[in-house]
Amino acid sequence: MDKTFAARRRRDLIIAAVLAGLAALAPLVIKDVYVQNILILTLMYAALSQSWNILSGYCGQISLGHALYFGIGAYTTELLFTKFGVLPWFGMLAGGVIAAVIAMGLGYPFFRLRGHYFVIATIVIAEIGLLLFQNWEWAGAAMGITIPVRGDSWLKFQFMRSKLPYFYFALALCSLAWFVTWWLEDSKWGFWWRAVKDNPEAAESLGVVVFNSKMGAAAVSAFLVALGGAFYAQFLAYIDPESVMGFQFSLLMALPAVLGGIGTLWGPVLGAAILIPMTELTRSYIGGSGRGVDLIVYGALIVAISLALPQGLVSLFSRSKAKGATR
Amino acid sequence: MTALLETRGVWQRFGGLVANSDVSISVGRGEIVGLIGPNGAGKSTLFNLIAGVLPPTQGSIWFDGEDVTALPAAERCQRGVGRTFQVVKSFETMTVIDNVIVGALVRNTVMREARRKAHEVLEFTGLAARADVLASDLVPAEKRRLEVARALATEPKLLLLDEVLTGLTPTEAQTGVALVRKVRDTGVTVLMVEHVMEIVMPLVDRAIVLDLGKVLVEGKPADIVRDPKVISAYLGDRHAVSA
Repeated sequence: MDKTFAARRRRDLIIAAVLAGLAALAPLVIKDVYVQNILILTLMYAALSQSWNILSGYCGQISLGHALYFGIGAYTTELLFTKFGVLPWFGMLAGGVIAAVIAMGLGYPFFRLRGHYFVIATIVIAEIGLLLFQNWEWAGAAMGITIPVRGDSWLKFQFMRSKLPYFYFALALCSLAWFVTWWLEDSKWGFWWRAVKDNPEAAESLGVVVFNSKMGAAAVSAFLVALGGAFYAQFLAYIDPESVMGFQFSLLMALPAVLGGIGTLWGPVLGAAILIPMTELTRSYIGGSGRGVDLIVYGALIVAISLALPQGLVSLFSRSKAKGATR
Repeated sequence: MTALLETRGVWQRFGGLVANSDVSISVGRGEIVGLIGPNGAGKSTLFNLIAGVLPPTQGSIWFDGEDVTALPAAERCQRGVGRTFQVVKSFETMTVIDNVIVGALVRNTVMREARRKAHEVLEFTGLAARADVLASDLVPAEKRRLEVARALATEPKLLLLDEVLTGLTPTEAQTGVALVRKVRDTGVTVLMVEHVMEIVMPLVDRAIVLDLGKVLVEGKPADIVRDPKVISAYLGDRHAVSA
């Protein structure tokens, strides 16, 4: 029974493994540091967007405040490292746990809100977080934290000579976020989330505890995003509130998923693979003119994709194309 | 033997409006009971109270020998209350089989078992051929059927059907009636709200008539249709007198 379904799941897993394998080999060909940098950011945003997609795509609770969890991951790691000498690996996990707890704490009042009101609440909360960090003296306030350089070391997760270790970590993070999504998609939680997104009242009548579903999605999503924040802080070796908690991060987590296909397994990766290089390239080739041409081109491309493929880029590949034809 | 479902002196007020006043009904195990009454009689409100969508203003609801008044809808489902909605609420972006799996997960924690259960239910309700279609692509009669399938997948003891036969063509309604009988034959108790008397009356063992939020009469369908109180509630006093 349901061989096609099992086959599809297996096929997804194989494709992912092949893609990850190919990506792992990419540095053999790509030696240019600038391009490597773009690849690292692309993988990181793919991971972030994949994590965002769990709460906002699958469970349907659109958050435009995930920069908060990103920043919490970054700050937890660096505060523990610079103030208490805790290794970034532990700081990363601590950041993930703290972000998950905060996400649930915030979910408690805010998951009662629906639709646009929930979105507004997430934006406001993330801005409050940003302001708090800008004024928190102990955490460096607006000046931020410079991560002391101790030389290349996996233990301290710090690399000066080559970007490759960061590349492989970003790849691992992206694979992790994808795999978690893949695994949850065919689980009780995955079904509960989609049911909650489509119709909470019907879901409740079928034994789905809507509130708990949202809390679970928020916790997983925030945890993974905070891992990304910890990575980014180590990668930059310097953080301040604006550079790890600014609103642009919330947008850059949402956009790839939305462009690629919100609430789909492949949407975030596909969206990030197109959007992030595009962002970087338009900035470096036509940016700097002082007239914001890069942003105009960037915005126009996003609008064009959204108009042509409102279901996201994955609809180019998926069965939904055939379905559209039968309708 | 105690009744499967009992409402004891249930009241529901919405501001100044009294939707249910002192409603006490009971549904025995294995029965098909029809809940009928004119528009605005309080049928849907009573249904929502039984399903746990909202708590009654006053009174209590007993299911399977326990007071479930304070339990939310999800927990009542876990205890064995399944329901459909008058205005269908399919999970539109999910396939038919996935819709039903959501229900099946109540009693099956392992995905493979939930999926098998869902297939069984689709077979039972005649939707098997549509398993991989998106719920949004179903025609209205199929959506009604999906509502029933989803509720059945939760393996309820009591199935609440909210106007599942209304608005169907006569042929579709006949298939619906056959399905309800088949459900009852598997041992599920059915309480159904229905508008169209000529469809429900031959189907139900017993009918309860609500009017203006109160129980007007209850009894065998044959007696109900001849009851002057019922006729006047539906058609007005003039007809009752002539009957």
